[in-house]
Amino acid sequence: MPKIIKISDITTEEIIKEAVNTLKEGGLIVFPTETMYGIGADATNQKAIDKLLEYKTRREGKPLSIAVDTIEMAEKYVEVNNIAKNLYSSFLPGPLTVVSKSLGKVAKGVESEIGTLGVRIPDYSLVTDIVKSLGKPITATSANASYKKRPYAVEDILNNISTKQQNLIDLILDAGTLPKREPSTVVDTTLNQEVVLRQGNIKLTPVLERVTNSGEETQALGIELLNKYKHYLGYKSIIFALEGDLGAGKTEMTKGIARVLGVKDAINSPTFIIEKEYAIETVPDSYLSEKKPTFYHIDTWRIFETEELEQLGFLKQVSLGNVFSIEWADKIIDLFNKISEDSIIIWIKIEHGKEENQRLITVSDYKA
Amino acid sequence: MKILAIDTSFDETSVAITHDDCIIANKISSEIEIHKKWGGVVPSIARRMHEEKIDFVIQEALNQAKLKLEDLDYFAVTYGPGLAIALEVGIQKIEKLAKEYNKKIIIVNHMEGHIYSALSKNSKGNPKIEYEFPILALLVSGGHTELVLMKDHGSYEIIGRTLDDAVGEAFDKVGRMLEIGYPGGPMIEEIAKTGDENAYPLPIPMTKTRNTEMSYSGLKTAILYLTRKVFTENMDPKIKAKITRDIAASFQKTAIDSLILKTTIALDKISKTDNMPAVKDLILAGGVAANNLLRKRFRLAFSKKYRIHYPTDKKLFCDNAGMIGVAAYHNALRGNFYTKENPIQREPNLSL
Repeated sequence: MPKIIKISDITTEEIIKEAVNTLKEGGLIVFPTETMYGIGADATNQKAIDKLLEYKTRREGKPLSIAVDTIEMAEKYVEVNNIAKNLYSSFLPGPLTVVSKSLGKVAKGVESEIGTLGVRIPDYSLVTDIVKSLGKPITATSANASYKKRPYAVEDILNNISTKQQNLIDLILDAGTLPKREPSTVVDTTLNQEVVLRQGNIKLTPVLERVTNSGEETQALGIELLNKYKHYLGYKSIIFALEGDLGAGKTEMTKGIARVLGVKDAINSPTFIIEKEYAIETVPDSYLSEKKPTFYHIDTWRIFETEELEQLGFLKQVSLGNVFSIEWADKIIDLFNKISEDSIIIWIKIEHGKEENQRLITVSDYKA
Repeated sequence: MKILAIDTSFDETSVAITHDDCIIANKISSEIEIHKKWGGVVPSIARRMHEEKIDFVIQEALNQAKLKLEDLDYFAVTYGPGLAIALEVGIQKIEKLAKEYNKKIIIVNHMEGHIYSALSKNSKGNPKIEYEFPILALLVSGGHTELVLMKDHGSYEIIGRTLDDAVGEAFDKVGRMLEIGYPGGPMIEEIAKTGDENAYPLPIPMTKTRNTEMSYSGLKTAILYLTRKVFTENMDPKIKAKITRDIAASFQKTAIDSLILKTTIALDKISKTDNMPAVKDLILAGGVAANNLLRKRFRLAFSKKYRIHYPTDKKLFCDNAGMIGVAAYHNALRGNFYTKENPIQREPNLSL
């Protein structure tokens, strides 16, 4: 049986000393947090982490998260970008797990295989004091064995694990029954970082500049642009690469393009689904092939890597001579070199103007 | 009637075993965490991912139900709406299994599944659900926002839908503007708890036109302009946190107000339709229905006059095969099987 200390029985200094000694020796401690009981091991000690993974049976590789005491400690273990910085300064400590890119300083099995790591600053001073005194992060995973009841009392844990598992725990800090709260909210900060277009990689030759004052005017420009380029249909894929902030009017532009193509379905945002496909009903007289081309409306906002789009069959779709409207095209700029031979790429940059509904639109020819 | 159901409409590989309208097992790949590379908050959408996972998820569902494939009566699969390349994986799998085990196939519309998510029971047959037609369903998620009139099992009419962004997408994008990470929905709900929802009055979308069409693109843009106005460089973090909480709360309130307003208008419109019996039951389903405040406001607005149904298991708010199995059961009762010779076609833009 693990050693159990009732935290009301001895001084905080003594508890911290006992906990830190256990952690330094590679032991596992169960501790209270503002959400539920957690189980901690020195996140940098491989033997301690292996012991923890043995305790949490059947996890099948689910990553662990870590508890730190300050943003300064977090910065030693993960890349704290602007979004993460905002979360740390505004909402931590609190019931929140912030996922960032790991710097690879924790033991194997703590970070995810894609190299991310969840970080918490619990709103529970005993835990942050232990971490501070240890000088290193501890794991902050829930103390139940996988798939068992969420632990709000020490009995919830001990009654649901085997004797073998009980023997893996070295120390339990018992704070009685905790108020029932939901687990921490997990947020990922690694998605949608600002993309900086690498200078020199691509050549954009502006061919048209236009100011629009409404969504309808942006749509009308979409109609005009497709009419300008549609003679390529049947020879090459036509790709409208859209760059612009949230709410710029990228979907409005696409609605105009779709109208000329005779798309019957209503065009709405593909952000969630990433790719929507529509049958093209109107093809120019010059179009010879029997199979009608397809219009793909793509939104890269929710994808992590260009590889994901390739796996959706993007390169094949381009090689077959279709029409594309790609929102957040700047995110997949690496792919464009691979497709420039099969396609004509029209780069459309939409910027917010001075007036609320005003947009400054620059249309350029793209050369790899 | 025991059914094996598969849903690969988008990023989740899900397999369920249902017995009539009871869900016996409902496995979702992201919860099983088969391997670390499939972990994280944002699952990958690649076809390969579904192909690698599907056999394992089928086996997990069968294990939990303590059944074998030959024990099942029918096989069911989602054929749309969704991502074409993902839908194909589920369809091909079910066609192969149906041939091998000589079972009839039921093809299910994913949105019909969401409706039945609120009319599903667990393995013990709970909760007891009573309803009568017509039912008005509000389906809200990251990819869909629509009001559907269900006149009978299998008989649907879209009363209203979003013209641009889905409401769940608006939550994610506002989350991005507030720089609070991804996904935006749960985080906005969390920080809005301590925010002032009246701090920033925002225009409720599409109020001028008393119709049932919805729009969230304008609200998104309004938040964009608001954040540009109120946030400054090197702002005190405490002040910034307060403003962020207030904007999150104000946005959430406005989005919910709009959903309730449109539901009210839809009910009014239906009540004035000739030869249409009165609606007594409402359904609220889809990922955004997991938002506690939305469900609470929905109850406050409608529970006096209507019975309100929403999923009682958290899993049923997300994309899952359990709801597909229950929808398939009702299709099978009507003899609605896939009997064509040619292979099942996926329909990415399928509508109810």
